[in-house]
Amino acid sequence: MDPQMTTRDDLWSDLLRRALGGDGPCYARFLHEATPVIRKIVRARCTVEAEVEDIVQEVLLAVHAKRHTWRSDLPVSPWLYAIARYKAADAARRRRVAVPIEDVVETLEDEATGDVTAARDLARLLEGIDPRAAGIVRAVGVEGESAGEVGARLGMSEGAVRVAYHRAMTKLRQMAEAEDD
Amino acid sequence: MTEKTTTDDLIATLAGDPAPAPKAAPEALLLRRLALGVAGTLVLFFALLGPRPDVLAALADPVVLAKTVLPFVLALLALPLALNAARPAAPRGWPAQAIWVLPMAALSLFMLAYATHAPADRLRLFVGHSIPVCMPAIVTLSLPVTAALISVLRRGAPLNPMACGAFAGLVAGGLATTVYSTFCTEDSPLFYSVWYSLGIALAAGVGAWAGRRWLTW
Repeated sequence: MDPQMTTRDDLWSDLLRRALGGDGPCYARFLHEATPVIRKIVRARCTVEAEVEDIVQEVLLAVHAKRHTWRSDLPVSPWLYAIARYKAADAARRRRVAVPIEDVVETLEDEATGDVTAARDLARLLEGIDPRAAGIVRAVGVEGESAGEVGARLGMSEGAVRVAYHRAMTKLRQMAEAEDD
Repeated sequence: MTEKTTTDDLIATLAGDPAPAPKAAPEALLLRRLALGVAGTLVLFFALLGPRPDVLAALADPVVLAKTVLPFVLALLALPLALNAARPAAPRGWPAQAIWVLPMAALSLFMLAYATHAPADRLRLFVGHSIPVCMPAIVTLSLPVTAALISVLRRGAPLNPMACGAFAGLVAGGLATTVYSTFCTEDSPLFYSVWYSLGIALAAGVGAWAGRRWLTW
């Protein structure tokens, strides 16, 4: 590893170590510094530019969900890159085989035009996730409200609504896939 | 709302929750779950098989003792491999090399027994009388431990879920074989170094399948 990399790794390791101890600003800085690198890794695996930022967010969520799997005595970059590569490859593969969000929205639109089978399908899937998340999907996906409007109504920040919507869509996609299998 | 600002929003949200749950690491659960799994294996063992009457006398012979000790050492070495496989980019460490000593030891014991038995005895000892018990018993006894370990490893982030599950199956197969060996009266390495190994391999296969099914994230 060249010296510059080592210094950066030391800094990131330090930031994440503090973050895991409960330091929010250090965690924000770590994620901000890591994001451009994650974006680069995602771009190398995903040719559809429109999907890149979605996958970057998935990687960030994965890093967050699995942040306890970093052993703080090891350099943090290999850990981070490994998660980014795994999630990026996984997300790119799922997008090739699975229902893209746009298709789910199309089935939502079918409700209006009378194709009740697809709509009922989605309604049934929505019953399988928690009611608050289902409400957010309905508001954002069906009624076309913005994340900000929904957040104002539910007392959540716009970002939190986006995260909840994103998680719910991922969950729905997995459920739809599980049924197809 | 541009993509860039939404990623920033996401980071801001995540940064509101910096510290993971205090017992989030797989290791925090390990001992309790593993104890449960082993207890399950022992309950199955005593309910279905039970130790042979002369178990202590038999274990005084090092060649017989080996069929109990070798799978146990295998389990001990496979456990850190399973745990490390659940941490992205964690080095495998020395157990990855050390674990090869066990198949080598089994092979050596097999060759030694082959060389020291008359040709007429070899096939009899190799086939034995309990293959139809041995194989299913080892796999069955391994299941509680495999289940326990998979439930622990789900908290990790295995980049290769099948391999991680296979290591869990190897631990479970090793422990199951250790327990099973106190029931089994086939004391020649011509039997156990082959059929026990096959049983453990089957248990590892079950683990790999379970890993693919439950360890993807």
